[in-house]
Amino acid sequence: MPSRYVITLCDGPSCMHKKSKEIEMVIKSELEKNGLLEKTRVMLSGCLGMCKKGPVMIVNPGYTIYGGITEKDIPEIIQKHLLKKQPVARLVIDEDHLYNRFFRIFGDVDFFRKQMRITLRNCGIMDPESIEDYLALRGYEALGKVLTEMTPQQVIAEVKKSGLRGRGGAGFPTGLKWEITAKAEGKEKFVICNADEGDPGAFMDRSAIEGDPHTVIEGMIIGGYAVGSSRGIVYIRAEYPLAVKRLEKAIVDARQEGFLGKNILGSNFSFDIEIRLGAGAFVCGEETALIHSIEGSRGMPRPRPPFPSVSGLFGNPTLINNVETWANIPVIILDGADWFSSIGTEKSKGTKVFALAGKIKNTGLVEVPMGTTLREIIYEIGGGIPNNKKIKAIQTGGPSGGCLSEEYLDTKIDYESLAQAGSIMGSGGMIIIDEDSCMVNIAKFFLEFTQNESCGKCTPCREGTKRMLEILTRITEGKGEEGDIEKLQRLGNMIKKSSLCGLGQSAPNPVLSTIKNFRVEYEEHIKNRKCPAKVCQSLFNYSIIDKCVGCGACKKICPTQAISGQAKAKHAIDQSKCIKCGLCFKTCKFNAIIKS
Amino acid sequence: MLTPLETIKKKRAEAISRIIGKGYLSTKRVYVGMATCEIAAGSKGVMEVFSQAIKKGLADVYLSQKGCAGRCNLEPTVEVIEEGKIPVKYCKVTPQMAVDIIERHLKKGEIIKEWIIK
Repeated sequence: MPSRYVITLCDGPSCMHKKSKEIEMVIKSELEKNGLLEKTRVMLSGCLGMCKKGPVMIVNPGYTIYGGITEKDIPEIIQKHLLKKQPVARLVIDEDHLYNRFFRIFGDVDFFRKQMRITLRNCGIMDPESIEDYLALRGYEALGKVLTEMTPQQVIAEVKKSGLRGRGGAGFPTGLKWEITAKAEGKEKFVICNADEGDPGAFMDRSAIEGDPHTVIEGMIIGGYAVGSSRGIVYIRAEYPLAVKRLEKAIVDARQEGFLGKNILGSNFSFDIEIRLGAGAFVCGEETALIHSIEGSRGMPRPRPPFPSVSGLFGNPTLINNVETWANIPVIILDGADWFSSIGTEKSKGTKVFALAGKIKNTGLVEVPMGTTLREIIYEIGGGIPNNKKIKAIQTGGPSGGCLSEEYLDTKIDYESLAQAGSIMGSGGMIIIDEDSCMVNIAKFFLEFTQNESCGKCTPCREGTKRMLEILTRITEGKGEEGDIEKLQRLGNMIKKSSLCGLGQSAPNPVLSTIKNFRVEYEEHIKNRKCPAKVCQSLFNYSIIDKCVGCGACKKICPTQAISGQAKAKHAIDQSKCIKCGLCFKTCKFNAIIKS
Repeated sequence: MLTPLETIKKKRAEAISRIIGKGYLSTKRVYVGMATCEIAAGSKGVMEVFSQAIKKGLADVYLSQKGCAGRCNLEPTVEVIEEGKIPVKYCKVTPQMAVDIIERHLKKGEIIKEWIIK
């Protein structure tokens, strides 16, 4: 039965300090007094970002936000708002922030309550193909403010003060990057949006552009104004046709309204954006390779320095930021650097978007404040592991990242703490791995990807990953040798140290981190020729046990006729014919087929 | 002459009146998820059912597409928003379910409880 009322109480640190827990108890007892307890859902949310007005609560129906409430106000709110449908006007806060719009509409569902949406604030709210919808949600107001009230230096100072760091993965301070580009000299300057999202399992940038393309455009125009550039380029992969289409439409609409082109909004600042399609090479997410690709050459990285901020596209100063970084800019300008820097941890400010995938109940896109723990993301937002399985590992950062074991669940997410734990923030892929997965096999999967995507420029990356993959393949086939683990570590560390770009420097991470956290599994494969999770096909057989009722379903589905047996009698598998496709295992309704 | 900020505010007012002109103030607003992931899950067919119904005279309903809100495993999603009420979010909507949502929820005001996101 859906509740008739929903009360969401902010349980962020600041509101908790101001007695939100006590208030919750009063709410519950008041609801009981009025006979509303059954009809009302009371929820605690993560920080709603309105700390100064705390304690804050949202009452639905009505999407009403109350601030500065005390225990004494509760009876009045419940009497008037819930029973008489009249909001208590003196406690209502009517703030027009960018970040909480969505919460009032979605915040009654568990999946959203610990989230805080800044960059995804309009995703799933507005029509992405309508510039009217974006304008109505205070779209392009940040641009108007910047052009009217701020000098480029002030814009840079504001971004610097916000503490925003690059969301592509490396976490370089955005304001500093802007400052360097602004100071660099060149006959022309470029602004680039890196939308070449290539991690397997990651789709943050695609969703952000498909859901709200104008935010990225607005961020880029502001960036152009700050560094003194008049040309912007979005580098996006051709594999994202819908994102490209929506971005194209958004650019045309923005041009028509006068937000792009000559003399934007009557000012003497001119800026325009074009789209460049990438062919989908993973290495082109690396900024110097991306620049080469735009220039028309083969996408290969080059040594830095000089950094693109000084000498980038066609030798000109170039400001490159990732989609998510750009999407933060309008919010920082309108809601202020002070507010932005109050969210997050000491060194990592704001929020981060993660693409939650793998063995988890609620797969999807989540945006959480920095400092949220992995446990909160996986269990409170993600809903935990399906089928009562145990969690084995958390993979963050895609093929450049690492696998963390269960003991790291209470790690608070920020750039430093994830690096310390042996993984990386990366661009935001998060894959949850349960006990049914083999860590050696997972490391092999990621290495296969990077080995394929290595551009071939540096020998350690090109040859080294190939050798590592050969060793891993050998191990998963039951041909592992004593000393293989050490060999992998030695090779991995060498590749990390001697590769030119981020791809090579991070390619061994999945292998090194699984060795560090799951060494036992490697040893089982090598010494005992066993795959503990029974994933590596060469290391187990399928067999039929006494539970078999002789229904014949497995016999029918087996593609190699390896299963024989009379009806209603126990069947058997001929191991010489079995190709271990696993179809019989999936088909059997009596759990009579086991891996051994 | 207007400053850029004043121009934006004027444009916003115009945009809002254009949205209202398209029927935004209808009693019920229906949002269908139309990102790549939602389309892959079948949301185009669902959208078609709603837009056909409006063409055939379903009144007092504002229909819009929306981007991905992040509920991958529950897509396609459809939201029905009515001012002053708790928004209703349907998940895994098929064209057939969309027909029922129109008949039962949009026309008769009955929330189909078993299909909503908990």
